Amino acid sequence: MAHLAPEQFVDIADGVLAESARDVAPHLAACAACRQQLADVRAMMAEAVDVEVPEPSPLFWEQLSSGVRAAVAEEPPPRRAWREWLLQPKVWAPSLAAAVTIVLLFVVQPRESLTPATIPSTPLPIGGRSGLPSLEPSSPLGASDDPQLGLVADYGTTLSWDEMRDEMALSDSSGSSDAVLDVLTVDEQRELQRLLAEEMSQPAVPENRS
Amino acid sequence: MPTVKAGEGRLEHLDEQELVAACLAGRAGAFDLVVERHRRSVYQLCYRFVGNHEDASDLSQDVFLRAYRGLNRFRGGSSLATWLYRIGVNVCLNRVSLKKPVTEDIDARQHVDARSESQVERVLREERGAKVRAAIAQLPPKQRATLVLRMYQELSHEEIAQVLGSSVGAVKANFFHALGNLKKILGRQEDLA
Repeated sequence: MAHLAPEQFVDIADGVLAESARDVAPHLAACAACRQQLADVRAMMAEAVDVEVPEPSPLFWEQLSSGVRAAVAEEPPPRRAWREWLLQPKVWAPSLAAAVTIVLLFVVQPRESLTPATIPSTPLPIGGRSGLPSLEPSSPLGASDDPQLGLVADYGTTLSWDEMRDEMALSDSSGSSDAVLDVLTVDEQRELQRLLAEEMSQPAVPENRS
Repeated sequence: MPTVKAGEGRLEHLDEQELVAACLAGRAGAFDLVVERHRRSVYQLCYRFVGNHEDASDLSQDVFLRAYRGLNRFRGGSSLATWLYRIGVNVCLNRVSLKKPVTEDIDARQHVDARSESQVERVLREERGAKVRAAIAQLPPKQRATLVLRMYQELSHEEIAQVLGSSVGAVKANFFHALGNLKKILGRQEDLA
């Protein structure tokens, strides 16, 4: 028969576990040793709890405070932990503003300065290559506004369809979306060209530029 | 720890988080107030650990000095009192590992309200109290810490586990064994008397 565990004695003495609880009642009823042990635990708690610390002289408390004050005076002042310091708005707000400014300087400005005046803005002579029908865009391509469109324009003016495909490393592997270009009918290629031209004719940046 | 305004309001009206923030902000008198609020309980903890006034006084001062040094690490996860007890227990455990406790004489006087009991009853109670204090000071350090924090500082087993860095089960087992050893030590004292 297993006796009660130390934790169970403490829980019963603290009143957290009832003596009549199903876990302990049958054993307590049958085991005189555990009943005696429980009585001892309660008796010692009752004996210990009444013991007071002798009250020192009333002057002692001020002596203790002044002793601590003197010892503390020789210490460097405590500082906030750095994480707490960093979380103060007066610290992180200027840092955040500085970070945003840096991002704007290094990301946005170079992007604007890249807008090249040299990129050809003439309509692409797409037609006549690889036997595809010519298609004149009805509006400016806007390639001068966007370097990526300018790159496409360069390809369009200098490379044949096959060269462009090789240059762009388009794959002919089965399942590749690129391979679809080779199996399009003439009508489908025309429709694709029309859609591309329409898309490219949209200005890349809608705002007015001087 | 949430950002706490440290520079506003009278020190006496600050709660403990604000008081700690005031100490860290360098407000004059803020740490004095921490000491004033907690010096009695810290002293009593130390006294129950070492069983004499001289050592308890030294240890109390040491506890507050360490608390001052580590104030920026107080996160507010527990009360300031519990945090100070943790420092106090560590300071006391370090001390008792170096030095055998010197308990005061059985005759050591303590202030009690004598109006409610006779002179004989008072003397008997004081004698018994001194014996129990001396017995507590002889307990193994962890059992002593557990008993003191549970019986006198009235911390829960969970809080004691936090202070001592152990499990609740271990705290309860330590408490149980502390009471058993206390009974044995007191029994030996009575046999000698």
